[in-house]
Amino acid sequence: MSIISCENIEKYYPEGFSGRKKKILTDLSFTVRQGDVFGIVGPNGAGKSTTLKIILDFVRPDKGKASISGHPARSHTSHRHLGFLPENPSLYRHLTVTDHLLFAARTAGMPRGEAMRRADEILCTVDLSHAAHIPISRFSKGMTQRGALAYALFLKPEVLILDEPMSGLDPLGRQLVIDIIRESHQKGTTILFCSHILTDVERICTQIAIMDKGWLAAFTTPQELQQRKDVAKPEMSPLESFFLEVIAG
Amino acid sequence: MNALKTIWAIGLISFQEGLRRRIIYGVVLASLLFMSFAVLISGLFMRDIVKIMLDLSLSAVSVSGLLVPFIVGITLLSGDMEQRTIYTILAQPVSRAHYILGKYLGFAMLTSLIMGILTGATIVTVWGSSHLYAEHFFTSLSFSAIFLSSLMSLLAVLVLNSAMILWCCVTTSSFLATLLTLATYLIGQTVEDIIRFISLHIAGAEVSGLVQKTVQVALYLFPNLAAFDFKQQAAYGLPIPLHEVILLGIYGAAYITVMLLLAIVIFNKRDLA
Repeated sequence: MSIISCENIEKYYPEGFSGRKKKILTDLSFTVRQGDVFGIVGPNGAGKSTTLKIILDFVRPDKGKASISGHPARSHTSHRHLGFLPENPSLYRHLTVTDHLLFAARTAGMPRGEAMRRADEILCTVDLSHAAHIPISRFSKGMTQRGALAYALFLKPEVLILDEPMSGLDPLGRQLVIDIIRESHQKGTTILFCSHILTDVERICTQIAIMDKGWLAAFTTPQELQQRKDVAKPEMSPLESFFLEVIAG
Repeated sequence: MNALKTIWAIGLISFQEGLRRRIIYGVVLASLLFMSFAVLISGLFMRDIVKIMLDLSLSAVSVSGLLVPFIVGITLLSGDMEQRTIYTILAQPVSRAHYILGKYLGFAMLTSLIMGILTGATIVTVWGSSHLYAEHFFTSLSFSAIFLSSLMSLLAVLVLNSAMILWCCVTTSSFLATLLTLATYLIGQTVEDIIRFISLHIAGAEVSGLVQKTVQVALYLFPNLAAFDFKQQAAYGLPIPLHEVILLGIYGAAYITVMLLLAIVIFNKRDLA
């Protein structure tokens, strides 16, 4: 069953004051099935983040449509069972991570007692119990990233969208995020994420899409990559080798 | 019902974020100091003791209210977009209209709290002063006029808040949004006086047809903020006609509604990249 779908999406961004438009995405179509961990990889400027923003309706496509759980992306009901971790997450600096979690609880109509219990639980998962009542302005980058992850996971979403979830994290933080993604996957959460850390993608994804210059250049799975091991350069992982092959054209 | 809960949740988080900014306390403290100064300085004008005290104190109330959209509102709203904090909100089942209305509610709560505290302080100050100075100086004092004057100042700031939200949706630059909000405030404060000046047809100060037309257009496009100013009535203890208050209430509510609807329409079309 398809949970996230993009159909023939095209997106242009205006370039300076000339009125010219630059094509960012070209005829992008893919679906993410229920229970998949779908990774999008690609070089900088490939259109990975824009794709996620279109799915989340932060950016409107010029052509084509996206949907989540059958709801059009433009309808805010599509976010009902969704968690999102943006690249370089920004939370309200003067508020605490608990304030943010209580906000999410209020939008979902969760009673305060239950919200506080769930907040304790999720902060423990992301190792932020000690910082529950500290303003975000006093958080390190890694703590902010983990706080934003707690916010994304707070309402036990059925779909989790992560934009560069491992960027800026130390090895411990990265491992924690990978563990959380794996745990969420085991609980049946559908996960879509983009990254340019290919080894992480290879470790946790069940489906991998490679984007380049706004195109979806290739699809693969870890099983297919394993079969290609013979052609891979010995110093590279199978995905790295395949990625370079695809990007080089 | 769900929409109201969502708007309330966004309003509350915006209110909390605004309230935890130290500058808010600085503004309130500066106003309270100014009011204390007003008590001292008014003693130098024994015949106009209440007038001076109220003039200065009520000015402090409206200036503090006005600072909310400029120093907190714009940074909170444009900051949301510039720093991408908006993703945190919109990743929830929250529509863009909920976001705009919730933000407006949060700023309105913050403005009401600040102006409410300062109006309370004004009333306490004047009441306290009536025990310091001779009683006959306070015969014209009307607490209901003080209250209504502050209420109208609050309404003017709420109107300006709605214009500020519209400008933040029109432009991505917080600097430009500040300039446009400032321009709205200045035009709103002066347009009535300019119309009055033009209608006097003073010899040697004729105004071209184009300027007259421009001023007429400005009168319809920009809020007439000067109409909400009842500080003089409060200072002299003059009655504020209730029908005028009701009409201004309707005018303010209509203006706020139009501004927020325009803001929602524009914001709905925007890419939040």
